[in-house]
Amino acid sequence: MANSKKYWKGLEQLDNQSDFVETSNNEFAEHLPVTEFLEDKENLEDASTTRRDFLKYLGFGVAAASLAACETPVTKAIPYLNKPEEVTPGEANYYASTYYDGSDYAPILVKTREGRPIFISGNKESALTKGAINARVNASVLSLYDGNRLKAPMMGGKETDWDTIDAAVAKDLKTAKNIKVLTSSIISPSAKSAIEQLVGGNTEEAVEGEEVVDNGSAHITYDSISYSGILEANNESFGKEVIPTYSFEKAKTIVSVGADFMGNWLDALQYVNDYAQTRKPDNKWMSKHFQFEASMSLSGTNADVRIPAKPSEYGAIISSLYGKLGGSGGAKTAYDKQIAAAAKELKASKGESIVVCGSNDKNVQVLVNAINEMLGNYGKTIDVKTTSNSKQGVDSRMAELVADMNAGKVDALLIDGVDPVYTMGDSFAKALKKVKTTVSFATKMNDTATACKYVCPSNHGLESWSDAMPVTGSYSLGQPTISPLFDTRQTEESLLKWAGNDLSYHDYIKKYWEENIFPQSGATFFGDFWNKTLHDGVVEVAAAETEEAETIVFSGDASKANSAVKKIKGGTLELELTQNMAVGAGVGADNPWLQEMPDPITKITWDNYATMNPSEMKEKGYNVYFGQEESMNVIAVTANNQKIQVPVVAQPGQARGTISVALGYGKVVGNMETPTGANAYPLVASTKSGVSYYADATIADVELDEAYHIACTQTQQTVMGRDSVVRETTLDVYKKGSKEDYNPAFTLLSGDTDEHGHQIKKELKEFDLWGDQPVKNIGHRWGMSIDMNTCTGCSACVTSCVAENNIAVIGKDEVRRGRIMHWMRIDRYYSSEHQPLGDVGGTHTATKEALDLNGISTYTAMENAADNPSVVHQPMMCQHCNHAGCETVCPVAATTHSNEGLNMMAYNRCIGTRYCANNCAYKVRRFNWFNYIAYHKFTEVNPSQDDLGRMVLNPDVVVRSRGVMEKCSLCVQRIQEGKLDAKKAGSKVEDGNIQTACSIACPTNAITFGDHNDEGSKLAEARNQDRAYRIIEEVGQDGNIYYQTKVRNLKA
Amino acid sequence: MHKEAAIREPLILGSPTYSDISNDVLHSIEHKPTKLWKVLMVIATIAALWGVGCILYLIGVGIGTWGLNNTVGWAWDITNFVWWVGIGHAGTLISAVLLLFRQKWRMAINRPAEAMTIFAVFMAGTFPMIHMGRIWMAYWVMPIPNQFGSLWVNFNSPLLWDVFAISTYLSVSLVFWYIGLIPDFGSIRDRATRPVQKLMYSLLSFGWTGNAKAWQRFEEVSLVLAGLATPLVFSVHSIVSMDFATSVIPGWHTTIFPPYFVAGAVFSGFAMVQTLMIIVRKAMRLEQYVTIKHIEYMNLVIIVTGSIVGVAYLTELFISAYSGVEYESYAFINRLSGPYWWSYAIMMTCNVVSPHLFWSKKLRTNLAFTFIMSIVVNIGMWFERFVIIVTSVHRDYLPSSWSMFYPTWVDIGVFIGTLGIFSVFYLLFLKYFPVLAFNEVKSILKSSGEQYKNMSDEEFKKLHPVFKKDIK
Repeated sequence: MANSKKYWKGLEQLDNQSDFVETSNNEFAEHLPVTEFLEDKENLEDASTTRRDFLKYLGFGVAAASLAACETPVTKAIPYLNKPEEVTPGEANYYASTYYDGSDYAPILVKTREGRPIFISGNKESALTKGAINARVNASVLSLYDGNRLKAPMMGGKETDWDTIDAAVAKDLKTAKNIKVLTSSIISPSAKSAIEQLVGGNTEEAVEGEEVVDNGSAHITYDSISYSGILEANNESFGKEVIPTYSFEKAKTIVSVGADFMGNWLDALQYVNDYAQTRKPDNKWMSKHFQFEASMSLSGTNADVRIPAKPSEYGAIISSLYGKLGGSGGAKTAYDKQIAAAAKELKASKGESIVVCGSNDKNVQVLVNAINEMLGNYGKTIDVKTTSNSKQGVDSRMAELVADMNAGKVDALLIDGVDPVYTMGDSFAKALKKVKTTVSFATKMNDTATACKYVCPSNHGLESWSDAMPVTGSYSLGQPTISPLFDTRQTEESLLKWAGNDLSYHDYIKKYWEENIFPQSGATFFGDFWNKTLHDGVVEVAAAETEEAETIVFSGDASKANSAVKKIKGGTLELELTQNMAVGAGVGADNPWLQEMPDPITKITWDNYATMNPSEMKEKGYNVYFGQEESMNVIAVTANNQKIQVPVVAQPGQARGTISVALGYGKVVGNMETPTGANAYPLVASTKSGVSYYADATIADVELDEAYHIACTQTQQTVMGRDSVVRETTLDVYKKGSKEDYNPAFTLLSGDTDEHGHQIKKELKEFDLWGDQPVKNIGHRWGMSIDMNTCTGCSACVTSCVAENNIAVIGKDEVRRGRIMHWMRIDRYYSSEHQPLGDVGGTHTATKEALDLNGISTYTAMENAADNPSVVHQPMMCQHCNHAGCETVCPVAATTHSNEGLNMMAYNRCIGTRYCANNCAYKVRRFNWFNYIAYHKFTEVNPSQDDLGRMVLNPDVVVRSRGVMEKCSLCVQRIQEGKLDAKKAGSKVEDGNIQTACSIACPTNAITFGDHNDEGSKLAEARNQDRAYRIIEEVGQDGNIYYQTKVRNLKA
Repeated sequence: MHKEAAIREPLILGSPTYSDISNDVLHSIEHKPTKLWKVLMVIATIAALWGVGCILYLIGVGIGTWGLNNTVGWAWDITNFVWWVGIGHAGTLISAVLLLFRQKWRMAINRPAEAMTIFAVFMAGTFPMIHMGRIWMAYWVMPIPNQFGSLWVNFNSPLLWDVFAISTYLSVSLVFWYIGLIPDFGSIRDRATRPVQKLMYSLLSFGWTGNAKAWQRFEEVSLVLAGLATPLVFSVHSIVSMDFATSVIPGWHTTIFPPYFVAGAVFSGFAMVQTLMIIVRKAMRLEQYVTIKHIEYMNLVIIVTGSIVGVAYLTELFISAYSGVEYESYAFINRLSGPYWWSYAIMMTCNVVSPHLFWSKKLRTNLAFTFIMSIVVNIGMWFERFVIIVTSVHRDYLPSSWSMFYPTWVDIGVFIGTLGIFSVFYLLFLKYFPVLAFNEVKSILKSSGEQYKNMSDEEFKKLHPVFKKDIK
């Protein structure tokens, strides 16, 4: 019964209409009228879709289908098939290693993510450097991912493979008699031994720098920047050709004559932290630092007393000091008053002082040794037993080599770590042509490599094994943190191979250590010793006391040196060749991070220039101002019959009658089209007595067709008498006075009156419009304290921040337009004539007095720096204001305050009105004016535009897109990581466990990061100090970043 | 009918009849465009296209194509924005405030002034849009429900208040203007002979019948809208000024800004009306309706508002010195003596000194002089905004960040472009819209028309036996 119901499709079926029956019968017709259709020509011809149309539709259809099939490329994240034991995606691994580039040595800690090294910081375990690094060290991670690196060995200008080149080189070396290996100073004992294997000397003499063996083969050391004068002077004074080690932490008085010992002089990285320890005014004593110099150096900016002097007078100053300290025949100089003051301080701190000089003249250095001897500094602050190995090149030996090459006495020359065609110019290039077999180990094509027959590219330092003994008894190991990216091979391995040793260099080092270093270490098992050293990166091994048992005595002839020194004469215009913090001797010449790092003193990026005293420039009619559209004068500097063309810029404090030009620029690397800046090496005087970085020079104006612009990040030089921006005082006031004298709190008349009817002044916080933070003293409140006394301005924090936070490089033209993307900058202020050094009230009073006298024109005058200004370095980044101006004005709430006191940016939410940047009183916000990671203007400069360069990006930090605002996040990714680590460990976040990129990079620990709510933290301690203040606190933004008043060791 | 005292100067010269008025005003609509109009249109279109090109380039490449930098985050963009918004003040003030005050002279100028307002606000609105780094996200400033979770706009931000203030002002002004246009569109429709024209104007006129009831409603709606629009005249620029007043930047952070900005806006708005009307009355032969007296009235407004602006400038200067705040006083010293002193000097000369020349009756009734002055005032007012924005922010708290601003060709191109687009709109308005509110002008013909004023009582009575000539 269930199926008895009948459903009709319609009334037609019910009625059984005939047409319905017909169609229902034909519903599945077997016969298809194909033939009829095709035969009906008439019908077909009339059809709207002709054959041609059909083909068109077909074509369109195929094209459309294939277009639709073209999707955007799928980027795959492929999980490990077999997960390496030590790699956990998302977690960083840290490896201790060693950085050495021929001039800077630093034990380092390399952060790797998923196998890629992305960040370098100093190894705090090191007793030598205490973790100090400079910008060149931490920016070196970028050079690993440089597309300009050689990707395979080259023979005769063509790429080849290792087997071919090995065979060819081996064949050439077999017949060669005089094989010379030319390197930068080698501090690696294993590398030295590897070189010995090839040139066949004995290791005992390796320390000496050169060893002549019967077949004429030798290892020659050549430093781009020569310290031959000191080596030879010590040879004369102590019978040892060494560089001593200095203990700046013990020095109460420091007199430096032209030596930038905090920047680039000798082992600056080993001095800077020690020096900073003596600059803390709360300690028992604070060092007093005198600096005599021509150009403003980093050391000069930090000195208590800085006296501008011509380079030709350095000898006379030393001689005068020698005389004033009791030596006979001291010279007379224009600075005798200041020298006497320095001498007085030195006498008062005998055995606790250091006198250094930057001159490369042997006689001057002998006199310096004599002074230090008179002061009893040897064995106390200066050690000639524990010596530094970082500079071993002696000028005369290099001259000898060039002579030998010219005479055809060199059959094969193997060059590593130096670029003598660049640094010495034609004299070396010509000689090089006479050598039959030339091999370069350059990692990138450079002038020397181009001139060599074979180029056997070495690995980048982060791909190599290495060891180092920078100072007697201090060792460190370097381990690779990534497999070689290209078909390159470490120099030492090549040398070993050609010497017939088939050990890998790793095994070779291990063997060397087992045989030579392990026995001295006192450790029981080599395996443990090796593993521990590799883990720690550094190890101290007591040097075997052999010949050192005897005491070393000064035996130099001071009076002879003195009379030689007094003969030094200078011209009317002198040239000093310097190195800056970014490029050094040329290491940073092609590193975009370093080129974009503003020079700590001039704040100029991407250029080389001559610095000159502004008042002298005005006399000559040169432009002394900086700015986007300021046109600079370009001059031709002629010295030693060589001419270079550079812009001339104003440098307050530059000695009159001198100009300074930095070395290291104008270096052509790889397939770079035009190098940055001009190469000043040709101006270096090379005489029989050695290399000199001082020369008499002449300048001539150069007329250019176009205006020459400079990319300077700080165009206003002075602080305009603004006490609440920079607070500084003298040690006298600091010790004797109260906080009110040097760091007064801001008060306002309250409207309430006391019993006499006078208005009561109250502290600013009483007038706050804002309510208390709802989370005050709850949870964390992150912040920083920055000590302006120990900040040297070196700018290592700047590049560190760039590396950590994926900050875009924008190139010279955009920096010039005031658009540098750096989240962290170091403001450098010169004092003006209206800002007497030292006391806060004094500045204000003096400014006021000047205003009363001269009115508004004073302000204009205040914009100019004093002739020999005192200098303040002030690191500046987002202040993470609790009452932030930026947060209230954003229409879409893209920048907000976290409950941990951080001022946060939600890039995704930002629509780019730039209102926050305008309303930021500190001007720390950075806008993405262009699409820096794709726009063609930045292809040349921004490493993030190619796949290789992108490997250095920190995966924890997003790369910002065009049109959004960014700024310092206080390394929020590091804070989160630290909090998670603490959470996993089930403990509280411990003070000091979280470090920002800047605080970890700071060689002097001037930046203290921490939690304001943790009352026991170093930050809380610093914040509660009398020196602590906040910049423009009276505006009421309630920032989380504190600064410590700068204290100079001066009388009020 | 109310007839004015003879001592008042007539507002309509000559002896036009009602139909003369219609013919005069609608001449441009009913005839082919003149050569002058075509030439101006070509120039304006070129400028407009150039501007559009610059804007597209800006949006395509990035804000970096402007001359801004880390220190100066706003310059020509917001200067132009405030300048255009200011100009956009005169129209509503004339039509709304003067309506409430029953000022008959507004009849001849309210229509063109309102058109100017609306187009100026269009131009003004362009800048906050294109100055965004990510214009494609511009809709995020609207408090609309979204898929981003609980994301909402920040009601603390003056920039958000701007969004509300300007959009409200634009919509009210637009409605007010359109309502006023309806009777005139009706008249055009009735006169139109060509079918397309007839269709267009009948659509635009919303079926206006012109009967007494319609007129009565029209008057009432006008009055209500005038009441609504009046506070907006004052609120818009007050709120725009808060972009600066609520900030912490010395030179921006000033409580005087709201009234000072409103006065400045009226000042520049009237100057722009002068610039336009002096050309329009000549080119379209409307001298009978827009008389020297009208020009003079507007010049009087310019004296008053110019004086207010002058007082505001001096107050600002005094307070900065009196406050004892280092940064505040420096901000003004910098305006006077810093690298942008010349822009401050231009501002002071154009806005404070020059309007006082109008105290001379001879000068304020001189067309050529008025025309030059109107341009001077608008240059001055552009520089006022430039001074406030750029010279405040280019040297603020930390001297390390002090900087300069140099405009690029894109900055200049966008500004010229907005002048072009504005002119295109205005020329179209002149061609296709009734330039004067002629139906309203007719309403004052007998009270303020020259021929009626000069009539004797007998003549007047003869013409209009029902009305008495009021001779009070």
